[in-house]
Amino acid sequence: MEMDKLGVVTTFVHNIVVYNIPLLYGTVGEIMVEKSGSLNLGVEGIMAVGAIFGYIVGCYANSLAVGILVAFLAGALCGLLFAALTVSLQANQNITGLTLTTFGLGVYFFVGNGVKAISWPAMNDYANIKNGFADIPIPGLSQLPLVGRGLFTHNLLVYLAVVIAVVMWWYLRHTRTGLRLRAVGENPGAADSVGINIKRYKYAHICLGCGIMGIGGYYMGLNMSGSFSSSCWINGYGWIAVALVIFANWNPVLAILGTFVFGFFNTLRVSGSSLAAAFPDVLGWLAKVPSQLYQALPFIITAVVLVATSIRKREGSGLPASLGLNYFREER
Amino acid sequence: MRFHVVKRENCPLWKKLGMYFLAVAAALILGGCLLLAMGVNPLAYYGRMFTMGMVGNKIAYKAFENYLKVFAPLALTSVALSLAFRMRFWNIGGEGQFILGAVAAATVAFKLGPILGEGLTLVVMCLAGMLAAGLYGLIAAALKVKFGTNETLMTLMLNYIALYFITFLGDTKADWNFYLDPTSVRPIFGRFADLASFPKIPIGKFGLNICVVLTLLVGVLVFVYLKYTKHGYEIAVVGDSTGTAHYAGMKVGKIVLRTVFLSACLIGLAAAFKVGTAGILSTNITDDVGWTGIIVAWLSQLNTLAIFIVSALISMLHYGSDVAAATFSQVDSSFANMLQGVILFLVLAADFCTRFRILPVQKEGANNGNG
Repeated sequence: MEMDKLGVVTTFVHNIVVYNIPLLYGTVGEIMVEKSGSLNLGVEGIMAVGAIFGYIVGCYANSLAVGILVAFLAGALCGLLFAALTVSLQANQNITGLTLTTFGLGVYFFVGNGVKAISWPAMNDYANIKNGFADIPIPGLSQLPLVGRGLFTHNLLVYLAVVIAVVMWWYLRHTRTGLRLRAVGENPGAADSVGINIKRYKYAHICLGCGIMGIGGYYMGLNMSGSFSSSCWINGYGWIAVALVIFANWNPVLAILGTFVFGFFNTLRVSGSSLAAAFPDVLGWLAKVPSQLYQALPFIITAVVLVATSIRKREGSGLPASLGLNYFREER
Repeated sequence: MRFHVVKRENCPLWKKLGMYFLAVAAALILGGCLLLAMGVNPLAYYGRMFTMGMVGNKIAYKAFENYLKVFAPLALTSVALSLAFRMRFWNIGGEGQFILGAVAAATVAFKLGPILGEGLTLVVMCLAGMLAAGLYGLIAAALKVKFGTNETLMTLMLNYIALYFITFLGDTKADWNFYLDPTSVRPIFGRFADLASFPKIPIGKFGLNICVVLTLLVGVLVFVYLKYTKHGYEIAVVGDSTGTAHYAGMKVGKIVLRTVFLSACLIGLAAAFKVGTAGILSTNITDDVGWTGIIVAWLSQLNTLAIFIVSALISMLHYGSDVAAATFSQVDSSFANMLQGVILFLVLAADFCTRFRILPVQKEGANNGNG
C-alpha cells in the first residue's frame, strides 16, 4: 500500500500545478501592467474574454497555436481599451478596470451561450488541440521519484507560463527598457523629463500584460476540456491573481512560488479528503477543515502581507510608487 | 498637425449632459447593431427593456415593486460609497460590508425576532447591520490612516473574506448554525420573513416598501450633510488636498475614519433593508451592488441627486434585460452587462471631453519636446 500513498502525494503535487497555472499567467500579466503604474482591476474579465475567443477560434482552426494567439490578441485588445481610456483619456483606473470585468464577463456569457445554442465545439473532436494540450515529460527530470510526475510532467502551456515569468523577471531587472518601465511606474514625471515616451511605454506594457492574462484564461478553458456551464471558467482566479501580485511583491519569479503556495490551498480544498484518507494519523484533521477557509486563505494571507509591507514602509517593497495614478504632463 | 491637450475649467452643465447623452445613445446604437445582426428588432427589444414589460400588463404594479427592489439597495449603496470617494478614499469593499451587514441583520432577526416584536426587531436589525458593516469598513480606514496601507487592495481582499464567510454559513450543516433551515437535510438558508419583514405602504394595489421611502430620506440627509454641515466641508477639503486640510488645522485621520465608518454604515443599512425585505439570507444577497455602486457613484460624479437618477437607469437596464430575455429567448440576459460596459466606456470617453480640450499646437510654441 506504500506505493499508493506516494501516488496520492504525487497526484496532489501534480494537481497543484495543473489547476493553478492560470494564476501565474494572470499574476505575471498584472505585474507587467502594474509596473507601468496602472492598477488594472479587470483581470477577471480579460481572462474571460481571452478564454472564450481562444477556445472557440482555436477549436474551429484545430490548432493550439491559433488558440493561444487569439487568446493573447483578445486579452491585448482589452488592454488596448484600458490603455486608451486611462492613459489617453485620463479615465479613473479603478472604474475602468471594474467595468472591464463586468464587460468581459458579459462578453464571455453572451458569446458562449450564443455559440452553445448553435454548435459548441467539444475539445475531444479536435485532435490537434487535444494532443497539443497533452503532458510532455521533461527527459530525465520526470524520472525523479515523487516530484518527477508532480513537477516535470506537464502540458506545453505550463512550461510556457514558467518561461514567461522568468523572462519577464530578467526583462524588468536586467534590461534598459525594463529599467525605464519601472521608472515610469515609480515617477512618470521624472521619467518624462529624461525623454522616456510615457504613453508608448504604458500602452505597450498594458497590452502585453493583458495578452498574457488572456492566455491564462484560455488555459482555464482547455483544462476543463471546454465544457461550458452556467459558472464562468475563470471563477474568481482573476481576483486571486490581483492578490497574488501583492503576495509576490511585484516580482515575476516570486510569482511562481506564490502560485504554488496559493495553489496548495486551492488543491487542499479539492483533494484534502483524499490526503486525509491516505494518511489518517497525520493528516486526518484535514477532512474537518471547511473548504471555504481554503478559498478565503489567499485573500487573508494577502491582506496580512499588505499590512506587513505597509508597516515596514517602502523598504524593499516592489509596489510602484505611482500605482493607480494617471499621469498628466501639465500637472507637474 | 500636432495636438495638445489642456485642462478645461467649468464645462457648462448642458454641454456635459449633452456629451453623456451622446455617449449613451452611441452605446445603444452599437448594441442595436448587434441585436440586428442576431435577427432581433432592436426597437422592439429596447422597448421591452425600458418599459420593463409594464405596458399592457395587468400586474404592472408587481413589476414596479420588483424594480424598486433592485433600485433601492443600489441607490443607497452608491450614495454611501460616494461619501468615501469624495475624500478619494477608494472603498471598493462595498460587497464585503454589505455581506457583513446582511449577516448581522439576519442574526438579529433570528435571535431577537421572537423576543422583541416585529417593529423593534426591524430597528435593531438596521442598527446591527450598520454597526457590523461600519466596523468592517473601519478596518481598512484605520490601516490606511495608521500605516498608509493601500485601501483599494485592502478592501478588495476584505470583500472575498466576507464572501467566503457567508458561503461557509450557507454550506455548513451544524447544531450552532441557526441561519439554516432546520427542516431541510440539504444546507439551505432559513426564512425569517414571519419574524421580521419591512412593511409596505399600500397605494391602491401597489405596495410601496417603506425601505424605498427611507432610502430617499437618507439621500436627502446625505445631501444636506455634505452641502451644509461642517463635516461636509471638511470632507470636501480633504478630498481636494490633504495638505491643505492639514494646514487648516483639520485632523485628517479623524475625518477619514469618521467618514469611512459612516459610508460603510450606510451600506450596512442598505443590507439590512435588503434582508429585511427578502426575509432570507443568500450567498448572492449583494446582487453585485458593491461593484455596480462604485460605477454608479462615479458616473454620477458623486452628486447625490445624480446618483438616484443613474441608479434608476442602471436598475432599469438590469431588470429590463431580464424581462426582455423572457420574450427574446435568443438574446442572453448577459447582454445587459455588455451594454452596461459599452455605455460606461463611452461615458468615460465623453467625460474626457468635458474635462479637457484638444487644441492644435501653434508653430511658434512647438518647443515642448517630443510629445
